[in-house]
Amino acid sequence: MQTSDVVIIGGGVVGCSIAYHLGKRGIPTHVIEKDDIAMGTSGACDKAVLLQSKNPGIHLELALKSVKMFPELQKSLDTDIEFLNHGCMIVIQNENQWKVMEGFVERQKKLGLDVKLLDKNEARDRQPALSEDILGSTYSPMDCEANPIYLTLGLYRGAKKHGVKFSLGTKVTGIKLEKGRIKSVETDSGEILCKYVVNATGVYAPTIGRMVGLNIPIVPRRGQIIITEPVPKLIHGGLNCARYITAKFRPELLGTDEMAKLGVGLALGQTENGNLLIGGTREFVGFNKTTTHKALKAILKHAASIVPAIKNVHVIRSFAGLRPYTPDGLPILGEVPEVPGFIMAAGHEGDGIALSAITGRIISEVIADGKPSDDLNIDMTKLSLDRFKNVDVNEFRESHNCYSFAS
Amino acid sequence: MKTTEIAIIGAGPAGLSCAVEAAKAGAKVTLLDENLKPGGQLFKQIHKFFGSREHQAGTRGFRIGEQLLKETEELGVEVLLNAAVYGIYENKTLAYVKDGKDHALRAERIVIAAGASENALSFPGCTLPGVMGAGAAQTMINVHRVLPGKKILMVGSGNVGLIVSYQLMQAGAEVKALIEAAPQIGGYGVHAAKIRRAGVPIYVSTTIKEALGTEAVEGVVIHSLDEKWQPIPGTERTLDVDTICLAVGLSPLTELAWMAGCEFTFIPPLGGHVPIHDENMETTLPGIYVAGDITGVEEASSAMEEGRLAGVASAESLGYYDEDTAKRLKDEIWQRLNSLRTGPFGEGRFKAKIKQLQARRQLA
Repeated sequence: MQTSDVVIIGGGVVGCSIAYHLGKRGIPTHVIEKDDIAMGTSGACDKAVLLQSKNPGIHLELALKSVKMFPELQKSLDTDIEFLNHGCMIVIQNENQWKVMEGFVERQKKLGLDVKLLDKNEARDRQPALSEDILGSTYSPMDCEANPIYLTLGLYRGAKKHGVKFSLGTKVTGIKLEKGRIKSVETDSGEILCKYVVNATGVYAPTIGRMVGLNIPIVPRRGQIIITEPVPKLIHGGLNCARYITAKFRPELLGTDEMAKLGVGLALGQTENGNLLIGGTREFVGFNKTTTHKALKAILKHAASIVPAIKNVHVIRSFAGLRPYTPDGLPILGEVPEVPGFIMAAGHEGDGIALSAITGRIISEVIADGKPSDDLNIDMTKLSLDRFKNVDVNEFRESHNCYSFAS
Repeated sequence: MKTTEIAIIGAGPAGLSCAVEAAKAGAKVTLLDENLKPGGQLFKQIHKFFGSREHQAGTRGFRIGEQLLKETEELGVEVLLNAAVYGIYENKTLAYVKDGKDHALRAERIVIAAGASENALSFPGCTLPGVMGAGAAQTMINVHRVLPGKKILMVGSGNVGLIVSYQLMQAGAEVKALIEAAPQIGGYGVHAAKIRRAGVPIYVSTTIKEALGTEAVEGVVIHSLDEKWQPIPGTERTLDVDTICLAVGLSPLTELAWMAGCEFTFIPPLGGHVPIHDENMETTLPGIYVAGDITGVEEASSAMEEGRLAGVASAESLGYYDEDTAKRLKDEIWQRLNSLRTGPFGEGRFKAKIKQLQARRQLA
């Protein structure tokens, strides 16, 4: 039988980041991944590493700390993660949005985010492709971008270099406890004795949680994304819209039309090759990963209302990814007291890329030192599974159209 | 949203034959094709077809195309041209772009008859203008009446390579040589003999080393291969050509079937990954059928028979035929299909198709 101090379940960006940090600390670690690296959500998302899209509070604090770690990763990983600090704008299309964003920006500023409001002309000077019909935008020079697949691969290669073992194409079939504590992880190719299990399986976290009797409130939220042919430089840095922020945190404010039902909000970026990535939707449709004609049309229509030039660009591909959504939009991080040795690192929704670095550091410190170091100054109770003790998880799942546990 | 009973994607031999059969049964049929003209590859096939009389042996391909088009018109099949289907979405809804606009079409049955695309070959200089698929060259000469070049090297000795070489000569080009990496000629002896009589050398166990030229093809270096398919140093020779035609096989155009969620199996003699289907040409998704080269690369006659099969079966499933009538019609088609899959060239395809049907039964 194999032995490892830590078994991480999940080879997405979160699992790989934790593996990388544990590897650097020299802690014997083994990652079990059912498919391949970045095969799930980490390989089906956009390239934004955003601060502006984080709720002022612990969410933004985590993101600020995480993004600070990216330049170091870009230097130390063997893989070019295509990290760029090009800033991002959030486009405002009407007075209501302006009022909401004004408040949002003020609260973000207080936490140290460099962000300001631009009027229409300032916004169009910075981003000439913007429509004349916009009202203005926000702008933060601190927002960044990275290639999510290269980032995950870079962390995977870095972890391997530090001695972390990976079993790809391997499925976890059970978790054994001894006197209530983690004893081992059973897989379809053998059992691994361990002291800690890290559940970094994103939307599949509830399935793993069930193996130790936990009912974890995470449901998949589908995001559809469109890729166009390469075009000459059109978009500078990242471009989102106020609807995107609203769809993320307060979807009920969007109204009841088709666009609102699909949770359409703009997330736009351009790759180095020139392809545009146009997102996206936020839909609760269980584990359905298909794209829909209705949503693709709605995304494009909305994108063209902000960047009219998009009307003349050919779409070459589309895909959907499932984001792990929790009742309060924050990830679930840390050891679960009911099951000593069982550590949660899931539920990052659309923030997994941005928060991957800090998550890797926090979880590695929880395992190695018992808690995150004091200089991080993070209130782990706000991220614990325990904060949902009064949530009716089954009701939460069903009200978000999630009726099954995906394997 | 626009609706129809049977939507057929691709108006080549399989799609047209399918449309005729389904419309004959009484179904409302919509045929979509991304090209400006229907007919697929039929209209560039100026050669006479092989096989038996019931397969119109002796008739030239484009005549068969004209006949099928006439029948679809008489039967009232709706034909949407310049309509590129880009997706199959929920509830059998097709999305397509026609004349620059996005449309949706909801169908009760879908037949994917998207055909195949030519394989490419990589070698230094393979992206130079003047390197093209043999099928593309055939379209240029026989449909658009444009000669792609004057001095040709044909790569690949299957029937496409042999026939297109001859047609390029008829169109006024000089075929400098035909090369084949395998130790023997791939296509029919009768086609090969025809171009040998015309003085074209055929070099077997030979491949391209590189294409020469800066702005376009100005020549090509070929070399011989040993029994392990490795180049033999010192056998290089340079040919003075301005065009290199690649006839190195076809791959089924399976994207729409993948996207719809059909299950696939891997059968190299059929061109690689092919959708699994049953005796009715129905895929693993109820109501979604396939016909023609997408199910495995064969030739136009079997594509037409598969199209007919899908046409009868999809019409039957909508209630336009009773079981007995449908069975009689399908049995007749299967007999003809099986007779097409005989002989030294058909035998391999016959076995491969059996394997494909077995894959379906194993799933059931």
